[in-house]
Amino acid sequence: MSTGLSDRPPSAVPSGNALHAGTPTSAPLLEVRGLTKTFKERRGWPIPKTVAVRALDGVSFDVAHSEALGIVGESGCGKSTVARACLRLIAPDAGSVRFDGIDVRAASPSAMRMLRRRLQIVFQDPASALDPRQRIADAIGESIRVHGIARGNDVTTAVARLLDEVGLPSSAARRFPHEFSGGQRQRIGIARALALGPALVFADEPVSALDVSVQAQILVLLDELRHRRKLAFVFISHDLGVVRHFCQRVAVMYLGRLVEEGPVPTIFEDPLHPYTRLLKSSSPIPDPEHAVSLDLQEGEPPSPVDPPSGCHFHPRCPFVMEQCKAIAPPLLEVSSGRRVACHLFTAPTAASGNGAGAVAAAQ
Amino acid sequence: MSATAATDALPNAVASAEKPALIVDGLTTSIRIDRQWFDAVRDVSFAIHPRETLALVGESGCGKSLTALSVMGLLPAGVGRISSGRITVDGTDMTAASAAAAQAMRGDRIGMIFQEPMTSLNPVLPIGFQIAESLVQHRGMSARQARQRALELMELVRIPAAAQRLDAYPHQFSGGMRQRVMIAIALACSPKVLIADEPTTALDVTIQAQVLALLADLQRREGLAVLLITHNLGVVAAVADRVIVMYGGDVVESAPVNEFFRRPTHPYSEALLAAMPRVDRSAAALAPIPGQVPTLPDLPAGCRFQSRCPHRIERCAELPPLMPLAAMPAHGVRCWVRAP
Repeated sequence: MSTGLSDRPPSAVPSGNALHAGTPTSAPLLEVRGLTKTFKERRGWPIPKTVAVRALDGVSFDVAHSEALGIVGESGCGKSTVARACLRLIAPDAGSVRFDGIDVRAASPSAMRMLRRRLQIVFQDPASALDPRQRIADAIGESIRVHGIARGNDVTTAVARLLDEVGLPSSAARRFPHEFSGGQRQRIGIARALALGPALVFADEPVSALDVSVQAQILVLLDELRHRRKLAFVFISHDLGVVRHFCQRVAVMYLGRLVEEGPVPTIFEDPLHPYTRLLKSSSPIPDPEHAVSLDLQEGEPPSPVDPPSGCHFHPRCPFVMEQCKAIAPPLLEVSSGRRVACHLFTAPTAASGNGAGAVAAAQ
Repeated sequence: MSATAATDALPNAVASAEKPALIVDGLTTSIRIDRQWFDAVRDVSFAIHPRETLALVGESGCGKSLTALSVMGLLPAGVGRISSGRITVDGTDMTAASAAAAQAMRGDRIGMIFQEPMTSLNPVLPIGFQIAESLVQHRGMSARQARQRALELMELVRIPAAAQRLDAYPHQFSGGMRQRVMIAIALACSPKVLIADEPTTALDVTIQAQVLALLADLQRREGLAVLLITHNLGVVAAVADRVIVMYGGDVVESAPVNEFFRRPTHPYSEALLAAMPRVDRSAAALAPIPGQVPTLPDLPAGCRFQSRCPHRIERCAELPPLMPLAAMPAHGVRCWVRAP
């Protein structure tokens, strides 16, 4: 089980902000550091109180050129907020977002206009992302015109080329969103995201609303685009199977914090964080001999309004220790390119340097 | 739920001593599109014994939910109707029963849970009242008795601090807890049959595992026959005893669960499994099924999967029957190529 660790022993005492080496070639395309966002909400009756929901709590990660980073986690863990904060669709409270060396948070309106061409998003539900009264040609062509990339007939040509690239006939341009099936609408959503020639696409649950056979078609299409256009993706999903298939690296979130991050094969073969382990063992597998373990384990994910002290996962964790209730574990590098936020892997019990051993022992 | 899956030598061998709790025989359900009636479910037959789980699997529009609605008698009037076939619940023929008798059976001997608990619960009524409602309705209990039983039911579905939450409203519960409330409502009158239509699809995976475990536990204790409607083959592998795969309203494959996953035989079943990205395997190439499910009026005559099938032969223009495999009579496949 320690395949990910045995080949390279963890570095002695990594600094709190230690990040993985990344690709050796160049600086990362997207660099997110300490991203924090608290939503304030007035709730309650008859006397409303202001409650603060910490949606993001010091989230840091990198995305390399033409790499797909998966962000997984359950409802309310903040994975969609990451995308929105990186795109400046909402303003984060703290932290930095650098895209290709440019500070996204500090970008002037004109710089932001340039950034919008290179940073795009694909939403989960293409039906609600498309204007029902707008023809497909306008839905895709609008941004091309607004950004002055083409005019007149050239827009039509560009739209036809984009439709072809996502596997739709050029006749689709004259039609309205309701004339398409869910999978076709998601292709339109993708064509629209591609219209300005982005370098990085945030895909927020892009296949979650689709049937299995259509989901596979869209995943294959996205993979083709990643290779052909050298696109990078931040792929947000609750489905571990989809992330394992599509992404090269994965980050696991729990109540606003990253709890584990690393290369897809390592994390899926040998998850370290107890939450990652729970996610993996709860994911249904189509094989009755290795079917998902159905424990009557109690424990709901706590509310983000009032998260538990210390490590947010401690009330559900089978390996909980005293310090977990008081101190939030930092996200530390345990082996090259692999980070975990768990006291099991920094605690004295892990003095041997092999954190996986600690979990194995605890079991 | 799959404790008895080893005895899959015979169809429904799980509890052969007992009578099936639910028998669906030759069910054909039609729906109306633009003043024309189309068969959206064709000749579906199955039986479920107490303590047995049958999973109906397929993609949107395959007829799995329509089959469940037919069994529950909840087809929208004027748009859907049962054209032929018989549905027997706990020995009573539902299709022959009067509307009032059928109404009395629903909620009493058939319990139902749906995908999105928030849309099934009344937001302005307390949870305890909503659980007690069917007990007053079907069992003639007094309000006080029903409230006591509602508390027991909330404890049965493991809602923590049940006594304090009897008077709570649906919005004060999380998604997983709401689904537990739905299960409590479904089980209020101790039904024989539980119909669960995508009961965990809207839930997070860790909560899904809890709710499935709870259902399995209740099924054992209450001796329920469960009809599980799902699109998730992983859920099927975890809880079902038998699987029926539907495509375009037809049953294309029917098999005991272990046999199905060992030997998926219909080209559509095979394709579904190959199109599913798996958490337990490293990135193998996905094989998407080309095209999409044709709409009801456009479905081809004969085998309805032929327009997307890589193994199509001329004979597919004619509808194949559901034929048992020679080696495994409990395993039926509707395909000229795979089960000649």
